[in-house]
Amino acid sequence: MSFYAAPIAKLIEEFNKLPGIGNKTAQRLAFHILNGSKENAYNLSEAIIEAKEKIKHCSICYNITDTDPCDICKDPKRDNKTLCVVQVPRDIFAIEKTREFKGKYHVLHGAISPMEGIGPNEIYIKELLARLQNTKVKELILATNPTIEGEATAMYIGKLVKPLGIKVTRLASGIPIGGDLEYTDEITLIKALEGRREL
Amino acid sequence: MYIENIKLLNYRNYSQLNLSFHPKINIIIGPNAQGKTNIIEAIYYLGIGKSHRTNKDREVINWDSENSYIKGSIVHNNGKRILEIGLSKNKKKIIKNNGVVLEKMGELLGKANIVLFSPEDLKLIKEGPIERRNFLDREISNIKPQYYYGIIKYNKILAQRNYLLKNMVKQPSLEDTISLWDEQLVEVGSRIIHSRIYFLKKLNNYINKIHREITDDLEDIELFYQSNILKSQEELKDIKNIFKEKLTKGRGLDIKRGVTGVGPHRDDLKVNANGIDLRIFGSQGQQRTAALSLKLSILELINNEVGETPILLLDDVLSELDEMRQKKLIKSISNAQSFITCADENYLKHFVNKEKNIFSIKNGQVV
Repeated sequence: MSFYAAPIAKLIEEFNKLPGIGNKTAQRLAFHILNGSKENAYNLSEAIIEAKEKIKHCSICYNITDTDPCDICKDPKRDNKTLCVVQVPRDIFAIEKTREFKGKYHVLHGAISPMEGIGPNEIYIKELLARLQNTKVKELILATNPTIEGEATAMYIGKLVKPLGIKVTRLASGIPIGGDLEYTDEITLIKALEGRREL
Repeated sequence: MYIENIKLLNYRNYSQLNLSFHPKINIIIGPNAQGKTNIIEAIYYLGIGKSHRTNKDREVINWDSENSYIKGSIVHNNGKRILEIGLSKNKKKIIKNNGVVLEKMGELLGKANIVLFSPEDLKLIKEGPIERRNFLDREISNIKPQYYYGIIKYNKILAQRNYLLKNMVKQPSLEDTISLWDEQLVEVGSRIIHSRIYFLKKLNNYINKIHREITDDLEDIELFYQSNILKSQEELKDIKNIFKEKLTKGRGLDIKRGVTGVGPHRDDLKVNANGIDLRIFGSQGQQRTAALSLKLSILELINNEVGETPILLLDDVLSELDEMRQKKLIKSISNAQSFITCADENYLKHFVNKEKNIFSIKNGQVV
């Protein structure tokens, strides 16, 4: 039951569906919009619709984009020989911020997780394999998260791609900078030891 | 190591409580349901970061309040440490070490070594393998915090694999991924088995002497790790290969049953006295005595491994033991700071002529 007029109740309900928005925040946002100018409300709704309609998956790398192919795939200055596989589009932005990586990307949109019903067919692995046929890619960097699900996904892709004669690498994992050896779990510590480098 | 004082705010039935403790013997006495165990629980909280009675933090917050606060100062070999725990009904709990907020609960482990001894512990040998595995996991984590992360990770992998086994029929594409979970299970699980065997090996160095003392040289005791993967401990170096082989071999059965049949989550601790398996053939008295020895050997182990005597919490244990064993227990803990709850003044006779603090509890007040 709602104490509000139907249009307000509906607006509150819609806000409530968003992540991190509870009942109170939804009400606050709804009233903020009602108290604001008409123009602001139109701008917001237009922005939402425009983003939803114009943003799609790039047909090459499956990153979100408004042009197809996306800016990164189109860029002639980028290296075609290295391909970095990530779980979600946000990971691309994280890597791009470093300005260190000059290759191209492939977005899986998830990681293998039986508990969430995500198998290899539910994410863009087939598309990755198709992309690797007849390409110049020499190295595939698996940058899935170092969680058990990300690890499983990396292992799965590794097993399929290695026979193609492409070098497959995994993002290093170990002790974070500023981290404390004492509180690092055994597996991380062992990984860090295995991946040690000569000074 | 000992705890110097504790401050409680809105904790269980204490709205406010400040207590200073004796570095050796602290006796908490009073009738039932007055709050004796609550003090024990609060000290346990400081060392482990959670309650031994419940998994829900909000349950320990006083009925009328939103927040609860525990603060204690621990004196150890190299100085003093202030531990603080803030609990809230709606927010995450905050743990501080010397005023610095700890990011993970695992970081608290080992800051204050606490050994809790409750009536449930005396039932350890009699109960099922789950209790014994939990016991091993808890005690090893206390000495080796990294082990705790391993257990968490193992349980996550196991949950994924079991889910997969149950849902393979509905979603056949998942079948291709089973070896990925196997591989990770083997990697993490092998280390768990390794740590547990190593831990028991070390305990065996202490336990027999303690047990002979308690049983007046009548019984020899030995601990074994009963693994469904390893037949003998010599196979330990090949553990990964053997584990993997067994997982692959059992896959058909696992799929049929929908659960993972082999791994450290199915192992057990076996306790033999004079060559007899106490879990099955021991009398109640033997089982209790062995559990007592087991607990005391851990005290000894922490003493030697960490180089500090742990803080010992005895929650209503005396009433569970006969007088002879009460005496032996009290004698063997004389090095450590101990907290002993009891309902009956009768037990005070064990502590005459000893330096001690006695806290008499009535209705959430210390009188």
